[in-house]
Amino acid sequence: MTRRRTFAFVGRFLKLALLAGLTLLFILPILWMTTTSFQAGDKMFKLDTEWIPSVWHPENYSNALAAAPFARYFLNSTIVSAAIMAGNLVFGTLAGYGLAKFRFPGDRIVLLVILATLMLPLEVTLVPTFLVIHQLGWLNTYQGIAGPLIIDAFGIFLMRQSMISIPLDYIEAGRIDGASELRILWKVILPQCRPALAILAVFSFRDSWDQYLWPLTIVSVDRLRTYPLGLVQFGQDYGNPPTEQMAVAVMATIPVFLLFIVLQRAIRRGFGLSGLK
Amino acid sequence: MLWAIGLSFTSYDMVSPPHFVGIENYQDLVGDPVFRETLVNTLVYIGGSTALITVIGLALALAINTRVPGARHCMTIMFLTNLMPIIAVCLVWRFLFHPYGLVNQLLHFVGFGRIDWLTGAGTAMPAIIIVTVWRFAPYFMVVFLAGLLAIPADYYDAAQIDGANAFRRFWHITLPQLSPIICFVIVVSGLLCARIFLMPYIITGGGPGNATRVLSMLVYETGFSYLKMGRAAAISVVLFAISLLFTIGQMHLFARSEETFR
Repeated sequence: MTRRRTFAFVGRFLKLALLAGLTLLFILPILWMTTTSFQAGDKMFKLDTEWIPSVWHPENYSNALAAAPFARYFLNSTIVSAAIMAGNLVFGTLAGYGLAKFRFPGDRIVLLVILATLMLPLEVTLVPTFLVIHQLGWLNTYQGIAGPLIIDAFGIFLMRQSMISIPLDYIEAGRIDGASELRILWKVILPQCRPALAILAVFSFRDSWDQYLWPLTIVSVDRLRTYPLGLVQFGQDYGNPPTEQMAVAVMATIPVFLLFIVLQRAIRRGFGLSGLK
Repeated sequence: MLWAIGLSFTSYDMVSPPHFVGIENYQDLVGDPVFRETLVNTLVYIGGSTALITVIGLALALAINTRVPGARHCMTIMFLTNLMPIIAVCLVWRFLFHPYGLVNQLLHFVGFGRIDWLTGAGTAMPAIIIVTVWRFAPYFMVVFLAGLLAIPADYYDAAQIDGANAFRRFWHITLPQLSPIICFVIVVSGLLCARIFLMPYIITGGGPGNATRVLSMLVYETGFSYLKMGRAAAISVVLFAISLLFTIGQMHLFARSEETFR
């Protein structure tokens, strides 16, 4: 019996070691980025990576911020991403509610059309979207950068799926009490959709925060560039040390990770992982 | 999109109005070796990435699902790769694939020689695929994990009593139960890969030669660097057709899941 127990213990230990090793392998690039952002420029490609810098160089951060208007770029990105996140939450909720809880002629067709058209990513519809924004006169504006991304099929679909299982009785009860539809949505439906809202918030923020091709296409003035444009330019300009690029990359990573950590529990529930210990 | 299809039959430089040229844009594309190479690259990329994402995503989910202590934290940490800004991902990996970068250091550690990942015609595309898998596999791991958790434990208990070993349990219970999710992952990751732009654009710039140029890059270059909007629209129609395959797959899965709900 004891032998069997030792056996099980060793098995468990091996599993844990394997899992930890895999996790380390996945996290290694992120660790590398962080440590390199504090590293001296000439140590970048030493044959053995120095995981803990012998001399810390926090000035990589201030140097990068001074070398290009990254403060402005991050501000632009924040404005655009916040607008896109808010737009996705609002429109996803409203459209999702409409599609989940109201039967009207052709509702399934509306759903399929929304899915089919909006599922096409901007990379595919780049040319026509550009021409629309061009004709609206929105080149080089915040509304031009955020506009095409503010409503997204993913948000509508996610919200619809999370609302569809809420019993109609709740909504009926609200209607009998004389609550308006918006009030029902706010007081009855939304509290039950928190996991979906958390997922939508993180993913829509990440996607807009990442957006490169679209601003690249329609922004031509430095004042309105978002940080990905600035960072790529910074990397291409001769003489900017990779350590400083990594410093900017770390700064860009922090907001997304923070948002994820804050909403972590709701997200896990949203993915149906609450059963996992 | 309809506009793009219309535009693809014209010649348009955004200065003078578009004029109709019929299928000339498409004829040019078929005869263009760069376009053909790009198309093949895109398909290889989609196929390779999707297959690896599915297999590795599932393997990771099975590893997490062994329920060793700390598994949940491992999952959370791995998921971070999916949240890191894509631009940071590209810049970091460009350095990791440097001839003296971390990837080669690790390979050297296990006894391989130095590989010039990004400048070798045969290794550049695999490098891009590795980055893609690193980025997306943890996301699909979470999707698979949710599927694994939804399989009733009774099935496994019954199989164990019948004396089925771990592999047979996986083959006869896990895989069939998971098949709708496997389809979902293939379709969604295919759609994700069809739109890839930034990874080859930043990491290799499409090179060496055209070895990692994909269709979305060609759309951008043709339309906005050479101002051939009509031709760019024609390329996006091809890209659209590829995406449409996956979209139809997704619709099909969606329709099936709706039936089971009602």
